[in-house]
Amino acid sequence: MQFEVLAKCHTTRARVSRMRLAHGVTMLPTFMPVATQAAIKGLTPQQVEALGINLILNNTYHLNLRPGIQVLKEAGGAHKFQGWNHNLLTDSGGFQLVSLSKFTKITEEGALFASPFDGSPTMLTPEESISIQHAIGADIIMQLDDVVSSLTVGPRVEEAMWRTVRWLDRCIEFHQKSGEDDVQNLFAIVQGGLEADLRDKCLDEMIARKDRVAGYAIGGLSGGEEKDVFWRVIKQCADKLPEDRPRYSMGIGFAEDLLVCVALGVDMADCVFPTRTARFGVALTFKGPLNLRLSKHSADMRPIEEGCPCPTCSSGITRALLNHTATLETAAAHAITQHNLVFQARVMGGARDAIMNGTFPQYLKDFFANYFGDAGYPEWCVNALRSVGVDLLEGKPDTRVVSGDGAKWEYSDAA
Amino acid sequence: MTAAPLFTLCVTSGKFGPRVGSLNLDREDGTPVIRTPTPALLTATSRGVVPHFSRDSVQITGAIQHIQLPFESFLDRNPPVLTLVGGARPLHQFLGYETDKHVLTLTLRDPSDGRKMPPNGNDFMSAHCTRGVRKVNLPTWKTYVQKCKPDLVVALSDTPFTPPPHSQKRMTKSIERSISWLADFLRVLDDPSASCPRNVLVHLAGGAEPHARGEFADRLTEPIEQKDAVGLSPFNTLDDGVAGYVFDLLPLHTTLAAEACRPIEPSSPVDELLKVSDSQRSSPDSSIRLAELLQASLDPLPVHKPRFVNSPVSPHEILRLVREVGIDLVDGFWAQRAADIGVALDFRFPVPAESSITSADCPAPRTRKDGKMDLGHNLFDSMYRHDHSRLASSFSDGHSAGQSHSNDLPVCPCGACSPRSPASRLLHSSVDIQSWQDSQRPLPPSALQPPFVRSYVHHLLHTHEMCSHTLLAMHNLTVLSAFLEGIRKVLGREFPKDELEKEIVRFEQKYDEDMVLWDEAATMWLDVEHARGKGRLARERGKQTASTMGTAA
Repeated sequence: MQFEVLAKCHTTRARVSRMRLAHGVTMLPTFMPVATQAAIKGLTPQQVEALGINLILNNTYHLNLRPGIQVLKEAGGAHKFQGWNHNLLTDSGGFQLVSLSKFTKITEEGALFASPFDGSPTMLTPEESISIQHAIGADIIMQLDDVVSSLTVGPRVEEAMWRTVRWLDRCIEFHQKSGEDDVQNLFAIVQGGLEADLRDKCLDEMIARKDRVAGYAIGGLSGGEEKDVFWRVIKQCADKLPEDRPRYSMGIGFAEDLLVCVALGVDMADCVFPTRTARFGVALTFKGPLNLRLSKHSADMRPIEEGCPCPTCSSGITRALLNHTATLETAAAHAITQHNLVFQARVMGGARDAIMNGTFPQYLKDFFANYFGDAGYPEWCVNALRSVGVDLLEGKPDTRVVSGDGAKWEYSDAA
Repeated sequence: MTAAPLFTLCVTSGKFGPRVGSLNLDREDGTPVIRTPTPALLTATSRGVVPHFSRDSVQITGAIQHIQLPFESFLDRNPPVLTLVGGARPLHQFLGYETDKHVLTLTLRDPSDGRKMPPNGNDFMSAHCTRGVRKVNLPTWKTYVQKCKPDLVVALSDTPFTPPPHSQKRMTKSIERSISWLADFLRVLDDPSASCPRNVLVHLAGGAEPHARGEFADRLTEPIEQKDAVGLSPFNTLDDGVAGYVFDLLPLHTTLAAEACRPIEPSSPVDELLKVSDSQRSSPDSSIRLAELLQASLDPLPVHKPRFVNSPVSPHEILRLVREVGIDLVDGFWAQRAADIGVALDFRFPVPAESSITSADCPAPRTRKDGKMDLGHNLFDSMYRHDHSRLASSFSDGHSAGQSHSNDLPVCPCGACSPRSPASRLLHSSVDIQSWQDSQRPLPPSALQPPFVRSYVHHLLHTHEMCSHTLLAMHNLTVLSAFLEGIRKVLGREFPKDELEKEIVRFEQKYDEDMVLWDEAATMWLDVEHARGKGRLARERGKQTASTMGTAA
């Protein structure tokens, strides 16, 4: 990997960088759409590329089950299997073991789980995870980590943190011996729950291994913790992680979360949210999400968002047509998915431009004014951005600030 | 300048028999005439869109030119949104079809929907939408059509969608209503500024009774009686106002199957996800019966009007109707439905030479016990798990055809077999250009990419990924379009009728018509759909209730 920081925001910790991997250059900060089963839901890889996207994510757990490593090897790796010519990242499979399997037991050796096919006990070790990711062939691979829910408290959090460090060593060793380490880049995952001292210890350990990891992820978040705690953990990690390594915040996808993370120094994020919500008929816009299933859109001849360059808006698809087809025709899911991925890319692309031009603080203010103007700013965003020198409320004494998560949703016709 | 005639015949064999022609859509608005060589493909839509296709997928699928639009799904809002669009080409504009390429035919009902329906009335037709059944009366339909301005439109007709057999009284009523509805549709409006619908197609009524069908056609060609003539000038007969004929095969198949004591129960397919048409099959016998019925209708009618056939169930049936009757547009519902259930079509007409399609690197479809080959591949089948070859053995893919000239297979130009890198990529910031203009890794636009392979589509089907159906639908429509092109080519030979006959025999000997493959695919598709698809939770709850019934919970 070649990683070069091109510009830094003069106020916040945000930065623009160029990351060269085996399948090309990706400009950071960026959002990575999730192709869990080797497909962005509803789109062909050519369609994804046309959206200006060149880094996507596959899930190791799912691909290991289906199509299985043997098939991927025969096909020449996941890139060839799915016809994707650009950069690819795989997770380690650890998160799904915990979120999808009720019977997973973590031992020092690895994660012991019941095979979803026959229920037989199966062990996923750090070495096995890396080996599977080698067969998949992603440009960025993740260490196996000991994932605990972000709501867990007590000694289990510390245990998981230390085990994650030990498993990182096993992953590094296996990866370097394999000879794949010149094409595939291993990322470490910082754990430690919501406790600052544990995060700090984990950061120290992992930074000590810097020469043998290509980048760092911040894990163990987006599990229902309070947003005001979430951003503090991100800030703590991003502040301490080395300048010359990309920083990846796992499972982040709401636009406001993305921008706060970027301001705190995060370079990459992934989430199923924009693609999943599209299938339920929700389109993302700079004025907030639109629930296209609501009857108020049924005769609305406007595109989802004026001026949006996505294939859906630029071809003149109206809210009314999407109201007619959403959740009933897969074509509606395709169209809204295309739009939502472009929305995410525009949010991040706008951030890149603003950072390059030295206008990122203003970009944040404009974004929040547009997106939350009438609904009120989430308090945690205001706090988080203040911590890096941007006061969203500056010169806006009348702006409402709402506590809690502050997500903005169009639930029903009554709203 | 007078408008180009809607239809011209180039090769014809009298009243009935194979023919080649050209459908010419002249909108008389200064735009170029859209010409389509026939027999041609009519793409089916659902809720106004080609199933599984985003607009860019429609654009890259050359097979999609003629499009059939059932109006009924839009009845769930009043007024229907299609009537609110306005402009010169409201349907094209709203639904995203290209005015210079796509020809839109509007019908009230979806001809592939064979569900049992409440009866029509003397002055209304029953139609389906998500909110239930809606009655559409004649003036309303006329207003909708005027507002939608379709390129072609099918007049309302009274087809019973109750289980057959239908009494003679019912058939008589059907004919009376269909005739009077057509007359009403053709009659100019009181408001002279409102334009009359052009290119009106009529469904030839009469059910599975040759006499009744003949009767309906006779009525079309009889001089209009004085008392009915108001508003119908300059027509001498109703047929003068008709631009072409439509045959909906689905209700005919249902009736024929009932007569043959294999009733297809319209009210209750075995599974809520199955359609009535899924169990319809053709045979030489059923094709002959259909041909007789179509001939009975066409006998008194002029030959120079295009004949539209909806919902044929196999390529064999299409071939026989081409040979026995002469048909010009054929809907693609059958091939599109195959894409829903995981079937990738793999056949050609005329049948290719054996040597050209037997290749180790791309296996041909399975051969059944009777020696006949499947019309495609059921990609749900686990035998495709490790099959990394392109979808069809009888077509090459663009990428490998460009690299070697060793095989003489035609290329399947669909988005699954011959995908291309995008013509352009969106740039989201000024630095993005560094990703796409990379001297170390040139990324030419619109460059052919390797084909999507069977193992990948197999994986997508089992993981319930929507793009499996997109890839299959692009491919299947393209294969069906190539099949129709093959018919046109054979009919371009020196002795078209004999050549066609010879090639049809070869086709019948080569390809399986029982379509066991479809049954196998549908079963596997339902398994995945029930395990992962929409309504899964409700079904699981239902199962749990059923399994705990009678036990103390």
